[in-house]
Amino acid sequence: MRLTRRDFAAGIAAGIAAPYLIRSAHAQGATIKIGMCAPVTGPAAESGGYAIKGAKLALDAVNKAGGILGKQAELIVEDDQTTNPGIVLAFSKLAAQSDIVGFLGSIRSTQVHAMAPDVIKLGKPVMIGGTDPNLTHMGNQWLFRCRPNDSYSGRVIAEYGVSTLGKKKWAVLHSTDAFGTAGGKALTGALEKLGATTFDQGYANQSQDFTPVVLAIKQSGADILGSYFTFENDLGIFARQLRQLGVNIPWVGSPSITNVTALKLAGPALYNTYGVADYAEDSSEGSKAFGKIYRDAVKVAPDNQSSWTFDAINVLAQGINKAGTTEPGKIREAILAIKKFPGAEGEYNFDQNGDGLHGYNVVKNDKGNIVFDKHIEFND
Amino acid sequence: MRPIYPISNRTRVMDLALQLLFTGIGIGAVYALVALGFVLIFRATNVVNFAQGEFSMVAAYLMVVAVEAGLPYWAAFIVALLGMALLGVIFNLGVYYPLRHRTYLPVIIATIGASILLANSVLAIYGPQPQVLQGWFDTPGLQVGPVYLDSQYLLIIAVTIGLVIFNFWFFEKTLLGKKLQATSQDKEMASLLGISVSTMIMITFIYSAVLGGLAGILVAPVLFVSIQMGSTIALKAFAATIIGGFGDVAGAIIGGLALGVIETFGAAYISVPYKDGFAFLVLVAFLIFRPQGIFGERVAEKA
Repeated sequence: MRLTRRDFAAGIAAGIAAPYLIRSAHAQGATIKIGMCAPVTGPAAESGGYAIKGAKLALDAVNKAGGILGKQAELIVEDDQTTNPGIVLAFSKLAAQSDIVGFLGSIRSTQVHAMAPDVIKLGKPVMIGGTDPNLTHMGNQWLFRCRPNDSYSGRVIAEYGVSTLGKKKWAVLHSTDAFGTAGGKALTGALEKLGATTFDQGYANQSQDFTPVVLAIKQSGADILGSYFTFENDLGIFARQLRQLGVNIPWVGSPSITNVTALKLAGPALYNTYGVADYAEDSSEGSKAFGKIYRDAVKVAPDNQSSWTFDAINVLAQGINKAGTTEPGKIREAILAIKKFPGAEGEYNFDQNGDGLHGYNVVKNDKGNIVFDKHIEFND
Repeated sequence: MRPIYPISNRTRVMDLALQLLFTGIGIGAVYALVALGFVLIFRATNVVNFAQGEFSMVAAYLMVVAVEAGLPYWAAFIVALLGMALLGVIFNLGVYYPLRHRTYLPVIIATIGASILLANSVLAIYGPQPQVLQGWFDTPGLQVGPVYLDSQYLLIIAVTIGLVIFNFWFFEKTLLGKKLQATSQDKEMASLLGISVSTMIMITFIYSAVLGGLAGILVAPVLFVSIQMGSTIALKAFAATIIGGFGDVAGAIIGGLALGVIETFGAAYISVPYKDGFAFLVLVAFLIFRPQGIFGERVAEKA
């Protein structure tokens, strides 16, 4: 068979058009696609695995309940390598797939900051777990947070220590990195509003010894300690030395104090401490239900790594179904209109900034077991 | 910000200083042990082994694995140190030996590469989560008057003193020690005298790996076992080596102890967040005003 010039031109044209036709066919395809950036490799690979499992469990439930807009939903995962360049690359790969209608970003604020400019350019909803308050207050209308932000954790620690434990002379210990400094500032600010006095003490991450810190706290005469630790090994070393040097004042810490790794490292040194936790299994019916599903499927205790992605999928599915379309602007309006939605992390009441949760749970370390104490919610 | 509360029952200044001194010496002894490994390899090969910190980390993980496998603590300790001796052999043959005739730069870069390889290998095998290693003693510590003495730090200090004595005896009183010294001073002359230079260097690598490993195992119950533990200690140990005088065994010990005490007191009396800064400030001061360190001799560039 001879190849004529016309046949050749037709072949080229078909070759060029084919990917677009296939993609277009896909867009109107049988499934609704959700993209997820998650640490499949890198230092957070272990927790990334939990995050993916949480999202998949939610997706299974959504599909069993009829799916999204009557279609089955599908999760497309890209590895963010636990780095900022990694998540930018992962998000760009997902963003190139025009049939993806919504995304899950990261639990790490720094990674969300890295991908945020591309999120604005794309103009589609991205659910996030990063807790830096600025993320939803910097004019990016496409970020929707499925965890309470850090301004709430500081207020809850202060409120619990002052009102419930009745302590007003505080030592505030925090890492000097961005997270710790912001957390310490939020806690100190909240304490001042409640009429408490504070002794502020920063420390550098990866300290091998906390003796000077413990002695400073001891000398300060504080009757309660509030803390923002970034790394569990720092928390573990500090906790041991605090007890060894005879400081036994009540201690209310940021979420890392209830972290499984911190409990393992510090052991009895953390007994009877309090912590704020966005996920606490006994805090609500939604939390209990998620805990059961997760334990049955994954065979380990659930934590916030999996609970926020579980909620993110459910909130996104709810938003798209309420919108009745995959048009991004309509989905955004529908998500912002979500009120009293029972999630694993708590009850979602989205504000106009994109924050879904407005309070924290306070939990107690009862001989190594994390026990739910109370939930503190803010309406302002 | 310093304390804002009026302190009526302020801990007496002397008590505070004693507590800080004990902790400073304890953490300084860890730096000294790792610094010793730096010095021995530097004396034998004229290069800095930047994987010395990773020797500590690998040994701590070996110890965790051996204890988890059900071995008694003392047996796990021996297995971990034997593992480190083997790592010393592999390190010598794989990293130093192929480059022994090159200048110091490729060897140093090779040790940095080996350090990255070791850290990432352990990360791939064991994951990023820090691990707990129980201490040698069931009692966490003793309260002696106003000072709390952590039992693990007591052990570290005792081992450091023991090693100072052992090193003196080994290098000054034994034939093998003298052969090692001769090799480090002049390899060609040592070779002419019938000393097997490559064997002596091999022994140095084994001894340094075991020393680094010993530091890692001893400090693991205090700092926990993590991928970063080696690099954090090694950085300070390297500074201690320079302060003490590169290549000087006594200098490494004194430098390590001094660094531990300076940073602990600096953190307590000046600023906690800048604790690491004090250590490196002292290092910079030495590099400017006494680059040969406390015990080092000024070396002029050879013509």
